[in-house]
Parts: sequence; C-alpha cells; structure tokens
Amino acid sequence: MITLTPLKQFKYPVYAECITPDVFQGKDIAEIANLPVNEGNQVKNLSDLFKIEEDNAATPTITINGDASEVRRIGIGMKNGEIIINGNVGMHLGEKMVGGKITVNGNAGQWVGGGMKNGLIEIHGDAGDYLGSHYRGVSEGMKHGVIVVDGNVGSDSGCYLRGGVIKIKGNAGPFLGYHMSDGTINVEKNAGPRLGANMIGGKIVVGGLAEDMMPTFTIDTSKPKVKIDDTQSAQGPFYVFLGDLAEDGKGKLFISKANNPKLKFYEKYL
Amino acid sequence: MTVIKSVTCPICGCLCDDIEVTVENNEVVKMKNGCAVCEGKFLGYKGEHRTKKPLIRKDGKLVPVTMKEAVHAAAEVLANANYPILYGWSSTSSEAQRVGVELAEEIGGVLDNTAVVCHGPSILGVQEVGIPTATLGQIRHRADLIIYWGCDPWSAHPRHLERYTNFTEGRFEKSEWTSYMTKLKAHAGNRKLASAMRIEDSKAKPKPQACYVGGSPPELSKGGRKLIVVDVRKSMTAEMADFFIQVEPNKDYEVLQALRALVKDKELDVDSVGGVPVEYLQDLADALVNCEFGVIFFGMGLTQTAGKFRNIEVAIQLVRDLNSKTKFMIMPMRGHYNVTGANVVSSWQSGYPYGVDFSLGYPRYNPGETTCMDVLLRDELDASLVIAADPGANFPKNAVQNMVKHPLIVIDPHMNATAMLGDIVFPAAFVGIEVDGTAYRMDSVPIPLHKVVDPPAGVLSDEEILKKILEEVKIIKAKNAKVA
Repeated sequence: MITLTPLKQFKYPVYAECITPDVFQGKDIAEIANLPVNEGNQVKNLSDLFKIEEDNAATPTITINGDASEVRRIGIGMKNGEIIINGNVGMHLGEKMVGGKITVNGNAGQWVGGGMKNGLIEIHGDAGDYLGSHYRGVSEGMKHGVIVVDGNVGSDSGCYLRGGVIKIKGNAGPFLGYHMSDGTINVEKNAGPRLGANMIGGKIVVGGLAEDMMPTFTIDTSKPKVKIDDTQSAQGPFYVFLGDLAEDGKGKLFISKANNPKLKFYEKYL
Repeated sequence: MTVIKSVTCPICGCLCDDIEVTVENNEVVKMKNGCAVCEGKFLGYKGEHRTKKPLIRKDGKLVPVTMKEAVHAAAEVLANANYPILYGWSSTSSEAQRVGVELAEEIGGVLDNTAVVCHGPSILGVQEVGIPTATLGQIRHRADLIIYWGCDPWSAHPRHLERYTNFTEGRFEKSEWTSYMTKLKAHAGNRKLASAMRIEDSKAKPKPQACYVGGSPPELSKGGRKLIVVDVRKSMTAEMADFFIQVEPNKDYEVLQALRALVKDKELDVDSVGGVPVEYLQDLADALVNCEFGVIFFGMGLTQTAGKFRNIEVAIQLVRDLNSKTKFMIMPMRGHYNVTGANVVSSWQSGYPYGVDFSLGYPRYNPGETTCMDVLLRDELDASLVIAADPGANFPKNAVQNMVKHPLIVIDPHMNATAMLGDIVFPAAFVGIEVDGTAYRMDSVPIPLHKVVDPPAGVLSDEEILKKILEEVKIIKAKNAKVA
C-alpha cells in the first residue's frame, strides 16, 4: 500500500495521471517517486510534490492524506485496486475508470467519473458539476458502475448517462440527467430546474422538491414505490412523468407526491 | 482633404464596410454612412485617455520607459511564469491574434478571448449539436422570417436590420422599411387616440404583465419579411417587431424546448411556458414552420442567462427540427468587431476556439477548467497579459483582485481601467483606423480593415508589440536553458 501526502498547498493545477493502482503496481518506491506529474507548465517528479510512504500490505491501494483539491485526473482509466483520499480532491477523479473503487473523505471537483465505464466511486462530501457526465463534444457519459455522493452535486450531473447508478443523498443542481438514455439517478433531496431535459431513456427519482418541471414532460401514472437498484428501492408515492417529448424520449421521472403539491394539477390527466 | 471610401468600421460584429471617411491633416474630420457608435469612434478616438509611451510601475506609480525596457520586462515576466493567462484579443486584428497563439504556446500559458464572458456558450452549444448557418448576404437576399432572441440590435448592432435583414432590399425579399414607417405613423395616430380615450375613461384595465404580445397572429401571416422579437423586456427592436413575445427571465430554455415539441406536433400538459400562453407559442410554431427561409439571431439574453450553453444547444436543435419542414438558419450576434476572428484564429492555430491551455505543452480545452475566468477565480495564475480588452472594468471583483495580485501586462490604445491596474503598459495603435488588418464578421467572413490616418510617433501596432515580446521571450528562454 502506498501513502501520498502533499508537501505543500498547491497553487497551480497539478495533473497526476500516474496516481492509479495500475501504474503503481509492480513498481518499487524509487520508481514511483520518479513518475512524471505536471505542476502548471513545469514537469516534475511525483516525489517533488508528495511524500511517498509504503507499508507491507500487498493490497494495491493508494491513500492520499491532505488537500488534493488542485490535483486532477487521479485514478484516470483505473482497472482495479482502491484509492482513498482523506481530504478534498480536484477535477476528473476516476475519469473513464474501468474498475476498482475510489473513496473520498471530503469534497470532489468537477467531472467525477466522467465517461466512467465501471467501478465504484464514493464521495463522503459534495461533488462538483458534471458528475458521471460526458466530455465536451462526446455523446457518452457514464456507462456502468455506481457513484454515491453523501452531499450535494453541481449542475449537469448524469449528462448523457448511458447506464449505471448515481445515488445523491443531498441536492442536485440544474440539468440533472440531461439527454440520458439509460441508467438510474436517485436524488434523496431536491433537484434543480430543467430536470431530465432532453432525456430519451432511463429514470430519475426525486425524493424532495423538483424545483421546476420541464413543460415537455407528460404525466403517465402514479406509483407507490420505485426500484433504484438490486439493493435499494425508494418509497413514494411518486408521480411518474414521461419525456422529453421534444426528443420523442421515453425517460421516466419519479417525483415525490408529498413534497411537490404544486404538481397536483397534473392529476386531472390521470 | 482626402475622402476614403469603403472603410470598414471596427466596432461591432456587423463590420459595415461602406463607411466614407474624410481625412485632413492626419485627422478624421467627416464621416458618412456610419451609425452613431461608428462616428463616435472615428471622430473621438483621440481622447485624453490615449497612452503614447510604454509605462512600468515603479514604487507604486506608472512611469514612462523606453519600448526596449518595457518589452524586456514583459518578456521576463512571461518567460518565467508557471501558469500565465493571455486574455482579450477581440478588438484587434487577426494578424495580432496569430502572434498571440504562438506566444501562448511558447510560454505554456492559458489563451482566452472575450468570448468566455460573451458568446463562449454559443461555441459550446455548437460543439454539442453543430450549427446550420449562412452568410449575412444569403440572409439579406432570401430570409422572409427574422427572429431576434435575447438581443437588441437597435442598440447594440445599429445597422444590422438596415444592412442584413428586414430593412434591406434583397434580391428576392423586399425591404420592410416603408411598411414600418406606415406602421409608425399609424402607431402615433393610435397613441393620440388612446390619449384622448384615456381622458374619457380613466379606469382602463391594466395590461397583462407576464406576457405582452405586441401584435396579433394575422400579422404573422402578412406578406413580405416578418420580424419577431423574443426578449424579457420590450426593447427598442421589439418596438419595431411584427410579433413580440415577452418571456419571464431565465425561462428561454423552457420556451425553446416547448417550441420544439410544438413543431413536432406534440401536445403539452401545461397552459403556459415561461409566462407565455401555449396558444401564442403554437402561433409562433406555425409561423416558423410556414416560412420559406427563417433565421434566428441570438444574443447574450440567451448565452448568459440560466442554462447558458444549453440555451444555445436547444435553439440549434429547434432550428435542426425546423429544417425537416422548411429552411432555417441560426447565427450569434457577435459583439466585438473581431471576436469571431479570435475564435477562428485560435481554432485554426490550436484546434480550439477559446480557453486554450498550453501548460502541458500541447493545446487542451475544457471550459470550466481551462477558461481564464475560472483560472482567475481559483487564483491559479502567476502572471497575466491583457490585450484589446478591459477586464479590470467588467470582470467580477474577486477575479480582478486575483489578477492584480500578480504581474499584469496591458496592451491597449487607451489608459483603461485594466491599464491603470497594470504593471507594464504598452500603448497600441488603433486597428482599423491607424493600422491595417483583417477581422471576421459575425458570419465568419473575413473583411479587410483599413488604415486611414497615421498612429502617433513611436506607437506600434498590437502585432508589432507582440512580435517584439515573443522574440525577447525566446532569447530569455534560450538563456535559461543554457544556464540549466
């Protein structure tokens, strides 16, 4: 197991694509210390920025102790093993990861799990915008795997979701599940405006207040509960909306009846 | 006295190239054809705020120095910076922008232009869904339905209607100027009548506030060119419109998406969207589908309100849907005269239109991460160069505070707010008045800019100043590499 501790508070963006269990595996501590990282426009060694310690446990685990909020691309494309971050972490955490687990005991930046293919990310804090989303100009967001956020998430989370599950225990920003075609998003508290805009498939479950309903969703039915994944289901009752009509979509929004009395007028269509 | 014809106006994205300038003793004395803003610039650019010598801050004060000293000081700052930003670029020539890209690559900095606080979201929207667009010439000759959405050309692009849309005589579509004048006269008559009626009946019902439609659907089926304005308030352009739709602030996304559904003949469960009754939207959708050649011009009312680039994305998607039924185009109303050029040059040189980060040795682009506003707010920079823009006057307070914490180099003809905060200030010649160059119109057509008078003695163009800094940076970096 490798433990990394930042040697200073980073001012410039640090691009540390090398911090993944797959890259560290089979390397001794001297080799790991010489891995290249970018700080601003300078190329440096990992040991210039982090104190690197190793213990004898054979598990392919990396622990980062301290503030890594300027450190980007940790766990990019990781296939197995585990990364634990005790502190805040920067953008692109677990970008395009294929397997393994990332745990953040703090807040995470934008694009967590961008284009993620599989694996598990747990954030015991807040996450930024574009959680489990696509990258600019790409039409594929997260495909499989699970992301769990204990706090709130920013805007455009779950954009172009193609599969997998995103569980948000706090609030979500605007454009949650934009253009998603499959997969499930569960928000236990409130969801921002433009919820599920352009969605063509999949489901979004909102346990709290849905700030604004898109006019292009039509009410379908109401249901007492809904399945999130094999281990969890959410208790309703829920209004079930279908949309987005502008995309001929068949996505489903499950909106809590109890917390959204302003949607009562839709009942006349049931 | 010399009269120079076909001069291009270096003000807004219209780049009107029919200006006539009269010059006497190296001074512009008379103007023809320009709008008020154009005349203001050509006749009043030699103001008291003009800088004529390079300045460097010493003991808190800006003092005049030689060009050589200033170039060396600026190059020292940039060559040794770890994460510098180079911002501005929209009010200068494409030739200067090209040198800027080379400089950014050489120093491993973040190159960004004013699109980031303007039409950057339009570019993001285009990158998501593409764009069906045309030149302004094609629109002038063929468009029979013009929509201005979230923009007010009467105030910001004064000759747009006159040169490119409703009030121009196209080959296949006639000017609506005469019918507009008739409408104005009728309107004046109606106002007199209403005033007389008000005296009669002082208890008239108040007008609805949420949605005011300044016209009736029959006006949408009138012959000739139609002008529709969608905005949050009744702007001057809206006063001229055949049909005006007032949307609640920050609800454009919902209205556009509802229009998409209506164009696809879907039924909506709601009665109104963004304060606009669905019947009005249905009328609008019918007008969109029934035109021969429609075009949507959009401004910052779409790009910088809630939803940002998603607003543009949905507007383009509406145009895409409409193109399955008729012919429709969309175009951003670009502000600065060469902001389009900044995007074009940056794309041509680096692959990306704005917010380009060269710090890893190759260009990267991810607005939100590599855009200068985000870099400034996160205080990741250690030096900045501002050219042909004034972020000191219009960026958020925190961003400016972080900018002035570090060395600030400013290249501008004026002693603007940013120059007053700067550490090294270069005076520059006015592009399009004192030096030639190229600028890109809002439809991405390159137009030559003309020199009509000489710049003050010793004042260089942006391009020349940047080339000098770039040369010096290369010398300093070569020296540093030798020492290392």
